[in-house]
Amino acid sequence: MADAIAKFFEALDERGYEPLLHRGTGTLRFDLGHDGRTETWFVAVDKGNVSVSHRKGTADCVLRTDRALFARIAAGRANAMAAVLRGLIAIEGDIELLMLFQRLFPGPSGRRTPVPAAGAGKGRA
Amino acid sequence: MSDGLVKILDGNTFVVSDGAGDIEATLTDPTGLFSFDTRFLSKWVLSVDGQRLNVLSTDDLQYFETRFFLVPGTGTVYIDAKLSVIRQRAVGDGFHEELTILNHDAQPIDLKVRIDAGSDFADLFEVKDALKKKGTYQTRIEKGALVLGYVRETFRRETRISASARAKVDEGGLTFAVHVEPHGSWTTDLSVVTASLGAGGTRRRPKYGRNERQAQPNMQRNLDRWVQDAPRLECDEGPLRVTYQRSLIDLAALRFSPLSARGRSLPAAGLPWFMTMFGRDSIFTSLQALPFASELAATTLRELAARQGSRVDDFRDEDPGRILHEMRYGEMTAFEERPHSPYYGSADATPLFVVLLDEYERWTGDRALVRDLEFEARAAVNWIDEYADLMGNGYIWYQRRNEETGLENQCWKDSWDSISYRDGRLPGFPRATCELQGYAYDAKIRAARLARSVWKDPAFADRLEAEAVGLKRRFNRDFWVADEGYFALALDTDGNQVDALSSNNGHLLWSGIVDRSKAKSVVEHLLGPRLFCGWGVRTLAEGEGRYNPIGYHVGTVWPFDNSFIAWGLRRYGFKREAAQIAAGIMDAARFFDGRLPEAFGGYHRSVTKYPVQYPTACSPQAWSTGAPLLFLRTMLGLEPVGEHLVVDPALPVEIGHLELLDIPGRWGRIDAFGRGMVDVQEPRSRRSARSGRRG
Repeated sequence: MADAIAKFFEALDERGYEPLLHRGTGTLRFDLGHDGRTETWFVAVDKGNVSVSHRKGTADCVLRTDRALFARIAAGRANAMAAVLRGLIAIEGDIELLMLFQRLFPGPSGRRTPVPAAGAGKGRA
Repeated sequence: MSDGLVKILDGNTFVVSDGAGDIEATLTDPTGLFSFDTRFLSKWVLSVDGQRLNVLSTDDLQYFETRFFLVPGTGTVYIDAKLSVIRQRAVGDGFHEELTILNHDAQPIDLKVRIDAGSDFADLFEVKDALKKKGTYQTRIEKGALVLGYVRETFRRETRISASARAKVDEGGLTFAVHVEPHGSWTTDLSVVTASLGAGGTRRRPKYGRNERQAQPNMQRNLDRWVQDAPRLECDEGPLRVTYQRSLIDLAALRFSPLSARGRSLPAAGLPWFMTMFGRDSIFTSLQALPFASELAATTLRELAARQGSRVDDFRDEDPGRILHEMRYGEMTAFEERPHSPYYGSADATPLFVVLLDEYERWTGDRALVRDLEFEARAAVNWIDEYADLMGNGYIWYQRRNEETGLENQCWKDSWDSISYRDGRLPGFPRATCELQGYAYDAKIRAARLARSVWKDPAFADRLEAEAVGLKRRFNRDFWVADEGYFALALDTDGNQVDALSSNNGHLLWSGIVDRSKAKSVVEHLLGPRLFCGWGVRTLAEGEGRYNPIGYHVGTVWPFDNSFIAWGLRRYGFKREAAQIAAGIMDAARFFDGRLPEAFGGYHRSVTKYPVQYPTACSPQAWSTGAPLLFLRTMLGLEPVGEHLVVDPALPVEIGHLELLDIPGRWGRIDAFGRGMVDVQEPRSRRSARSGRRG
């Protein structure tokens, strides 16, 4: 379970380009609390090009939540939007970017069904 | 208002009260202060010396503001009151209420003024379905304010009530000891602030204060400019002008700005209960409004794209590429007792998203947005083939995967009995309703155009066109009810035709999927005595097993439906018939002071003489508001062709002279003129033939 978060972010970093974020530019920081400590993931998005780090700097959108909940979201076992409405995730900043980003979380089956390549106007077969 | 309730709103915050301004809701009674789909006040009752007040008059000042003139006393006849009470209320982040008491007497007076306040914090869904709450209530008095609270785990909602005048605050409300001099007045400002803790932060005061000129209500924002920017209508006919103005202003009120939209707005579905994003309603309304306010389409496309489905989620009926059906923010959605976060159970919004994108570009020439949404448009097209074809035979089918709280019918006729065979039987699931296939055809043809002209992918365009041609061929074979000459309402899982005659045939004309050779027969049915009632086309034909002139989708006439039918008639060259429908619905609008209801009864015009309104909670309804706009487009025959706007009017004689000036688009601004030349009197012969009479 503990690996779900790292797996999610590392896979994103590895992809490098994420078409679902092609309309997004900005930074997101995830502050995940557990046992009084905070694990930080920092995602920089530039028109779909993504890089992930553990930077603790300021971001356009900051999410604060419990690490265990986020692990469930990253594994497709909890829904991020419902958690936001429930008050389980605190958000500051650019909601538009978050709206795009939350679509990367997998569905309940645990896998994200790939959308056919469309490359936002480039790199198409 | 017809139901005696007063409704004011600002975005998705609204107040529904009785004519005196009081709120006394029960779980099922839809009055209260609502925000983000939660009721924040279910009780708000004013009394003076223990007595309720009588209404002298209620002024709807604005959509967001009302003034109530009241006098004490419980009698039915008002005689020489020594006191009057004025409540002026403006909604926004809660509401602000100016309470003023005037003493008309020569003697000073001492009064006990009381506001009883309370909240059940019901979710809108609970109001609809009368469900019990699962959390706990917490009421406290804090710094002279009454704070009503509701907590369920981390879900917290609060209503903070305070007054500018000294008040004695208890857990049930506020009491004022008031002294008013002879011919004097007393006044206080009441603030009601809603807070969703944990998400969104807390506000300290409502949007408005006394003499507040800074705050801008959602709808009022640029209202003057909104009306100025829209084309100007000049015509001989007064009622048409009234309807047009009404539509523009109502459309302004229906604008909804999601938190992520940075102040841009899209059309919500209806006031006040459907003040949220709906895929289908927002798209249809944006299509209707394109010649008048194309920015609605742009925001609709962007916001729906930002929430486009990305995964398989059975609870939300979500698939990759699917366009959402409805978004909600209340407790039941938060706790996943309802799937609206968002819910995706709509089979038409996805192809219609592509249709809107293309139509938007044809009007505005905004290729930047088409490029920006290429990925989403492709994902939408892919959804049609990969996820919607549940039977694997090349059609869009729908069947909910959320069997508890999902929608059974995922087409616009979404009530339980809307899809039936002639004999009234209901088919099983999945179902392939006919108009969905039309939308899919149109989406592919339009996506092909965009692929060729904007995305520079001719191979994709070729593929889409080939698929569309194949779909059209199969559709005209499989859905055609040959012995009657119209298209079946749906196919069932055995491949049999769900063979009732319905208004959906008109949407098929609009989509272009109908073979030219079949169009005449389809049109004869649409304007024939079983479907056409004199005002418009019924949802289901008279004579069908489930036909009922006041059945929601089985016999009533929907102005929105008719506006697309008329567009379809024009598409196939049936100008006179399009004008006839336009004339009928616009005539009906007169009976509603220019504000078309969602639906009205399908009784024949000659029987009732006036359109019988179908009772619905929402008014105005977005796509009814948009209908007159689309009828204007249709009657004037406005069609973008390349960089030009073609005008080809076919107006009913009754309309006389009509000008639509400064129509915005990729051509800049263009004026359109027309003169009523089309005789739209219903041919008597058809009715005579039906009833067996002559002459």
